[in-house]
Amino acid sequence: MSLLLPLVPLVPLAMCLALAWPGARARVGGVLWAAPVPALLVALLVGQVPPLVAEAGGLRLTLLLDLPGALLLGGAAVLWGAAGLYARAYLGHQPRFAAWWLLTQSGSLGVFIAGDLGSFYLAFAVASLAGFGLVVQDGTVAAFRAGALYLLLAVLGEIALLFAFALLAVGALGDSIAIADVVPPLATSPGGHVTALLLVLGFGLKMGLVPLHVWLPVAHPAAPMPASAVLSGAIVKAGVIGLVRFLPEEGAPAGWGSALAVFGFLTAYWGVVAGLAQRNPKTVLAYSTVSQMGVIGAVIGMGIVLDIGASGLHAAFYALHHMLAKGALFLGVGVALATGRGARRWVLPLALLLALGFGGLPPTGGALAKAAVKDELGADLVALCAALSAFGSTLLMLHFVRRMMDAAAEAPDGRATPGLLGPWLGLGVAALVVPWLLLPWVGADVGKMWSLEAVAPVLLGAALAWPWRRWADRVPELPEGDVLVLARRGAAPREALGRAVLRFETMFRPWPAAGLSLLAVVLGLLAAMAG
Amino acid sequence: MTATTPGGWLLVLALTLPAGAMLLGFVAGGRHAQRIALGALAIWLAIALAVALQVQASGAPLAYVIGGWQPPLGMALRADGLAAAMLLTGAVVLLAVALFGQGAYDTPRGAAETRAAYAFWCFLPALAAALAAAFLGGDLFNLFVALEMLTFTALALACLDGKPSQFKSELRYLLFALIGSVLYLLGAGLLYGAYGTLDIALLAGRTRADAPTMVAGALMTAGLIAKMALFPLHFWLPPAHAGAPAAASALLSGLVVKGAFVLLLRLWFWVLPAPVVLGGGTVLAALGATAIVIGSVVALRQERLKLLVAYSTVAQMGYLFLMFPLLAAADADAASRAWLGGVLQAVSHALAKSAMFLAAGLIAVSLGHDRVTSLGGAARVMPITVIAFALGGLSLMGLPPSGGFTAKWLLLRASVETGQWWWSLVILTGGLLTGGYVYRIVAAALAPPAPGCVARAVPRPQELCVLALAVASMLLGVLPLYALGLVRVGAP
Amino acid sequence: MSGTDILALAACGLVAIGLYGVVAQAEVLRKIIAFNLLGAGVFLLFGVVARRGAAAGLAADPVPQAMVITGLVVAFAATALALVLTLRLHQITGAATVAEDPPSGAAPDPASEP
Repeated sequence: MSLLLPLVPLVPLAMCLALAWPGARARVGGVLWAAPVPALLVALLVGQVPPLVAEAGGLRLTLLLDLPGALLLGGAAVLWGAAGLYARAYLGHQPRFAAWWLLTQSGSLGVFIAGDLGSFYLAFAVASLAGFGLVVQDGTVAAFRAGALYLLLAVLGEIALLFAFALLAVGALGDSIAIADVVPPLATSPGGHVTALLLVLGFGLKMGLVPLHVWLPVAHPAAPMPASAVLSGAIVKAGVIGLVRFLPEEGAPAGWGSALAVFGFLTAYWGVVAGLAQRNPKTVLAYSTVSQMGVIGAVIGMGIVLDIGASGLHAAFYALHHMLAKGALFLGVGVALATGRGARRWVLPLALLLALGFGGLPPTGGALAKAAVKDELGADLVALCAALSAFGSTLLMLHFVRRMMDAAAEAPDGRATPGLLGPWLGLGVAALVVPWLLLPWVGADVGKMWSLEAVAPVLLGAALAWPWRRWADRVPELPEGDVLVLARRGAAPREALGRAVLRFETMFRPWPAAGLSLLAVVLGLLAAMAG
Repeated sequence: MTATTPGGWLLVLALTLPAGAMLLGFVAGGRHAQRIALGALAIWLAIALAVALQVQASGAPLAYVIGGWQPPLGMALRADGLAAAMLLTGAVVLLAVALFGQGAYDTPRGAAETRAAYAFWCFLPALAAALAAAFLGGDLFNLFVALEMLTFTALALACLDGKPSQFKSELRYLLFALIGSVLYLLGAGLLYGAYGTLDIALLAGRTRADAPTMVAGALMTAGLIAKMALFPLHFWLPPAHAGAPAAASALLSGLVVKGAFVLLLRLWFWVLPAPVVLGGGTVLAALGATAIVIGSVVALRQERLKLLVAYSTVAQMGYLFLMFPLLAAADADAASRAWLGGVLQAVSHALAKSAMFLAAGLIAVSLGHDRVTSLGGAARVMPITVIAFALGGLSLMGLPPSGGFTAKWLLLRASVETGQWWWSLVILTGGLLTGGYVYRIVAAALAPPAPGCVARAVPRPQELCVLALAVASMLLGVLPLYALGLVRVGAP
Repeated sequence: MSGTDILALAACGLVAIGLYGVVAQAEVLRKIIAFNLLGAGVFLLFGVVARRGAAAGLAADPVPQAMVITGLVVAFAATALALVLTLRLHQITGAATVAEDPPSGAAPDPASEP
């Protein structure tokens, strides 16, 4: 059974390699949706799949499937499959897109089952970097600019993680690089705080915790619809699984739980406020993702603070719902844009239902997700914070629905093709139903979702959404990526620094300077050797 | 006492076969020179593989005492893990470049050979012989001769096209390299004066941390790093490597500089006494760190593709020096990691950089120029070349599963373990900057073609040679660690 | 002061002059001559080492002399190579100097490359 695990990343990878043969290209493009099937299968078999430990010359690779990993893996597989079907109808057959798609998918699915530093880093890096190809698919200047920013931040995240992993590997007992072995000593090791900071930076960049969220609102509108769906649904979850695996409630150094919770809530509010000032429905959705990832960050943080063993599972469940629902909403934007104004009202019910689910409208899957994290976010001040974020989410999502309905159609009397409608409806229904099916494994208190404190934020948000309709067009539009504006100010000093380095380097180019440097090197070495 | 080990004759063959092929090709000329060179390089690869397998299997260095004369009077050839790994790398790169060169330096049947083709097919095996001498030599003076052979062969290859603009930069290269050689020889003379031998095995453990040894060490080191173009002695490398024809640039950047690197390792970790290494290692690493940062930033600002790749060599050579203070540290585990990481960096850089230079050459041929800003359309005409360039770049950046990743991971770990964490900041910053300049090229190549741009298709076999090198560099990190254990055989 | 010491001092002097020459002289021909002076200094040093009989206390060690001969051959080859290049450079550009930097964007246009 455990031999099924490697198939999860290898099947998409093999399909990607198969694209190199012109004869196989059309066939692979046709079955793009089938690449995540092994992942779904494996996720459904959770509990019966023992970990796979492969010994390869002193290097031990571990693949394992636990409950949080299985939730995320299954959700991601469904999303990738549905988006793959959708991509076929949306983009037609494009081998280049298929190659990036499959490569990203391989990493994105692999990260949920990686059990050691090496395979985790590999999968994480593949998912992050190959995502660049999805962002720049349209080939426009804006897409390339978004892609460059995406790549820069992805590489920064990689660097932080690589450093963190090196510290983890050094701190671990023995030579093992299994996550289960390197994480426990973190809480007590002297460099634990640095490691935790680097981990939060690396995974926070992927999740979009403020102020590291800037790539999300820039990359999502630039990418084609199915790519945005998987970016927002599946790829950001690599950060979630990272936090769950590397900062478990017993392994995190003191103080990092509350720090994560504070940053999580900050992100949740920031996403709402910045999203409300957006016009493009995809940008609004991107900010909603930022906000929701903030909530997940807060869940994990509070799980550490309150020492809740199942908080990883709860966070994964919450993330699973977000995956399906956000994926369906992105696909829905594509459906709405393809539909003329006349028929667009048919898009509305499902969109509205999914949107309100993010606020916690019972009995949607979203309400269930909110009920599942009540252990972490259910007490005192934190409950108030969570209610505020639910209220904000409702407001933001209704703002999104309005922006989507207002968006200009591609053709005035167009109709979405079944190829677009099918995956969208399927994913939407999955978002509403699947959380219910999985309830026995997560064990949330269903009754709580009908309680006043759960429903009140939704009602309040819905009530305020109407006045916001009028106000929304008057607030100035925030540039996509808000604080990114500050980074642009750094362009001139960066340029100056680069020129200064070039001038410095030029100093050593003439002969006499080079000759003198040679003598200086001799003397310097001599001094250092003697000293 | 050195004794010839079983399989020692392989070392003699590794040295004489390419030298013989060079002489034979020189006499035969024309199509024959090409065939002889290709055949010899293929056999050379087999020999290198056999040497590596033998060293791996026996877990001990191979040795051959020439004529049965013992050092110090006689000479010995030795192949430890370092030599075997570098020999294998050299053989792979040389064969790939030779196959690549079949496109540009082919002599059609019945036609008279061109000067460039004749020189190319003669000097290719000559370079192989020089590399074998540099990697296998066991005597500091023989290594001096090998170093000079390397310089002269490299110079000839760089001037292959006989273009006027090329002469000046190559002359600068030659003169600076000669100064380096003289300094090395001066140091060798001082060492001989102090210890009465230049045999590395005899010197090992015998040297004292006294003034003559230190002066000799400083002089020889300076001479060697002048040939390796470590900052601030790098001024000759970018124009010399960027101006050479693609096949020659790949060899210069990939292999020739590594010859001096192996010598430097032999000098520091076999000959010089531990206290000297401890003190001087930090200076080397500091220069290396400066090279990484400055070289990468300057590469980021280059307008010409080949110059950019050449400056990237300046930066990547810097990584090789980070291992010196880490190896000198007391922690044996960390030192072993640093050793592996440093050597792996040399190997993966050789593969990746030669792939990148060959790819840059193909791009320049196809577009008719190599201005970074107008590479648009390249990815459509020659996707394989652009993919190969990108893979090479990813390896330089240190992304998994490339050899560059494993190398940098090992160095990173060793630097943390020995408490010298500041080197890890340099490694990571270098990775980011490398990503920057690789991205510039790849993004420019992915962009749609500029109006009026005519890109010719390039021969598929050449593209495949480039891809093979890049994939080899990428897969180096997947090699299970026991294969890398080869590098540990006979390590200091 | 013995003869060996004088030779050693002379070697130092030659090395110093040679070093000055290769670093400071812009003319390639002068550089090549300086390089040869530098080389001569080094070979003289080998002679001094041989005279002092470093190995096994021999009165006159033959090994350094063998090295000097090899070194002379190498230096001769290097000089010849450098001179040929200088000659070509002079024929093409009318001057033989490596003083100034090649113009910015130093690489020649590789358009004509094979």
